[in-house]
Amino acid sequence: MSGTTIGAPGSLRRYVHSLWLLSARDLRVRYATSFLGYLWSVLDPLVMSAIYWFVFTQVFHRKVGEEPYIVFLISALLPWVWFNSSVGDFTRAFRKDSRLIRSTAIPRSIWVTRVVLSKGIEFLCSLPVLVLFAVFSGAHVGWGLLWFPVAVVLQVVLLVGLGLLIAPLTVLYTDLERTTGLVLRALFYASPVIYGFANLPHPFQFLGLVNPLSGIFTLYRVGLFPDQWHVEPVLSSVVISFGVLALGVLVFRRLEPAVLKEL
Amino acid sequence: MGSAIEVEGLGVRFRRGRRGPRSIKDLFGGAARRARPGEFWALRDVSFTVEQGEAIGVVGRNGQGKSTLLKLVAGVLLPDEGRVSVNGGVAPLIELTGGFVGDLTVRENVRLTAGLHGMSKAEIGRRYDEIIAFAELEDFQETPYKHLSNGMKVRLAFSVVSQLDEPILLVDEVLAVGDKAFREKCYRRIDALLADDRTLFFVSHNERDLRRFCTRGLYLDGGGLVLDGPIGEILDRYNADHTGQD
Repeated sequence: MSGTTIGAPGSLRRYVHSLWLLSARDLRVRYATSFLGYLWSVLDPLVMSAIYWFVFTQVFHRKVGEEPYIVFLISALLPWVWFNSSVGDFTRAFRKDSRLIRSTAIPRSIWVTRVVLSKGIEFLCSLPVLVLFAVFSGAHVGWGLLWFPVAVVLQVVLLVGLGLLIAPLTVLYTDLERTTGLVLRALFYASPVIYGFANLPHPFQFLGLVNPLSGIFTLYRVGLFPDQWHVEPVLSSVVISFGVLALGVLVFRRLEPAVLKEL
Repeated sequence: MGSAIEVEGLGVRFRRGRRGPRSIKDLFGGAARRARPGEFWALRDVSFTVEQGEAIGVVGRNGQGKSTLLKLVAGVLLPDEGRVSVNGGVAPLIELTGGFVGDLTVRENVRLTAGLHGMSKAEIGRRYDEIIAFAELEDFQETPYKHLSNGMKVRLAFSVVSQLDEPILLVDEVLAVGDKAFREKCYRRIDALLADDRTLFFVSHNERDLRRFCTRGLYLDGGGLVLDGPIGEILDRYNADHTGQD
């Protein structure tokens, strides 16, 4: 019976194999059922960018952010869409595949990591949009661009940690699904997406420090907007992200048996 | 020959009602040995060992923990007490159609499900035709799974899972579905697997099936293991306990 299976059950190789299969399934289902396929992963951030560009450059006289503002927006909106859609999916991660979870012994954390991975692939696929806008608006690219992959890694850490917390808790407490939606909406405005970290007025600067997204978005932006560089939010987001991950691992392990009974 | 399945002091409890307060303290509190109010033990203090190549039938009335035991062995449920150790992979014929995705075609579903059970891509390629032939779905390979009839779905699922090269086979009542001809085919497949020294863990209400496949039986009642012995003895005891009640 050798050579017919991929790794032993529980091995890392098997984990990666299953993770890849499920993420590929997500993407395939998405593209098999809609004509616009790829366009959807780009359209959402594009429409949002167009709206904010209109509101903040045409209607209001904007004092926040940097020129070109549309690039400034997109550089944080794309990762925000990744974050937002992943967290939204965490609340349904177990319920959506409950039949598969009840019948197949796959490591349960896969239901979280696979959301992060498939949404992350969509994020990477949407990056050409940012490149296009940056090129056509004549933005200057600097060495800070090297922080971009660091930001991706940090966001993965934060997302996996949050997923390990949110996914099991929403199975046990259904109300959390609604709550998460509300928190996400508030978090959008509390994060430096339509503005930069430095634009936060005096008593509210702590918002940029307790919110790990502000450090992550800073890292995404610093390649195109070197003035956005601030050390404090970056450091605090590293600490918070890894803290969330550690807490997530702990809580997930503790809740796993109860979650399986509820499915 | 090592043992295939070792179960020791196994216990799992469920909540009696869906509703009711569930406090954070409940979830993080230590695993006390007593059931909390509103909870009951679905299985308690169950211990046994299954040797490789044995065929075990699990007998008991509805709600006595048979399927729960199977799920614990399959690893899709985690025990609150004791432990289950399974030596080698498991091919679970439980909730058969669970892993399939309605929007994907039969071909994509076979690749996905077999892959999730650990079959390598090359191996799936080698066995694909056999899987489709066994399920009698040659003309439906590009059909979205959701458009298959219920019978076809079960046939496909059984075909995929029974092709897995795992040393332990778990079967939960699946043979009750499907038409007679396909059931016969499933029986022959299980016979072939047993002849190949696989371990079978079988849950059924059908006495004929139990006698046909199993050599040893486990009799579960009230969440506990009442008797562990040859299947004939187990069935006699079960029948003696429940004549006139069913």
